[in-house]
Amino acid sequence: MDPLRAQQLAAELEVDMMADMYNRMTQACHRKCVPPHYKDAELSKGESVCLDRCVAKYLEVHERMGKKLTELSMQDEELLKRMQQGTGTA
Amino acid sequence: LSRCLRSVMVAVPSSSSSGGTEPPPPLQYSLLLRYLVGEERRPRVWDPATFGGIPIPPKSEEQKMVERAMESCTFKAALACVGGFVLGGAFGVFTAGIDTNVGFDPKDPYRTPTAKEVLKDMGQRGISYAKNFAIVGAMFSCTECVVESYRGKSDWKNSVISGCITGGAIGFRAGVKAGAIGCGGFAAFSAAIDYYLR
Repeated sequence: MDPLRAQQLAAELEVDMMADMYNRMTQACHRKCVPPHYKDAELSKGESVCLDRCVAKYLEVHERMGKKLTELSMQDEELLKRMQQGTGTA
Repeated sequence: LSRCLRSVMVAVPSSSSSGGTEPPPPLQYSLLLRYLVGEERRPRVWDPATFGGIPIPPKSEEQKMVERAMESCTFKAALACVGGFVLGGAFGVFTAGIDTNVGFDPKDPYRTPTAKEVLKDMGQRGISYAKNFAIVGAMFSCTECVVESYRGKSDWKNSVISGCITGGAIGFRAGVKAGAIGCGGFAAFSAAIDYYLR
């Protein structure tokens, strides 16, 4: 698969992925950090601190999972290549 | 991320249908992932409006700086200090007004004090109350803000903990037992105020 095709596909997928990630992140962090007691319209200090931390952690988890997935898929491809070479020579 | 990879597996066979009867070229996930989340990802401008959020105009740098300063712990402590000073001054002058000992001259106890002496005494007492209230208010506000930032939640426990710390710090100068009593008393006081306010 050539890099240009991969880049084009990635550009198409990235918008979808980012939108999905944004929605999930907003849902998760709202559920965890903002308790359903609506006495005040403003975000209190504790809640805004919690939201900062939640977003930072979510983005870091997303990055690490992406790297781990890249690693795993590279291992899979090596294995597949070796299997194909094995059946080719045999 | 997983949702997008699933959609790729569905999309790729249909997009390469122009090949006819040939099998579609194998998808190299590691390369795709490098462009998607890895080193070769191009930096993009993220706009919440395109992701399904509510379109709001972005905040300017100055607005963000001002908001950060107003929400910081030091600003809140300074505000409590000034407020405490004003309140303490008013309280001190008021208590001096209803006190019979104001302007008392120890050298001549039967002489009626002059107006100047009485006013000076009232002012001194007002200033002393004001300083005390300012320090206590600043300490309580600062500890409450720090505790709230540490815990990441805003509930009644923040004011109880910071009340205990403030009362303990004030009472600790007179011994450990006085510190413990101060902690308990101030914590109960701030819990009552919090209950009334929430």
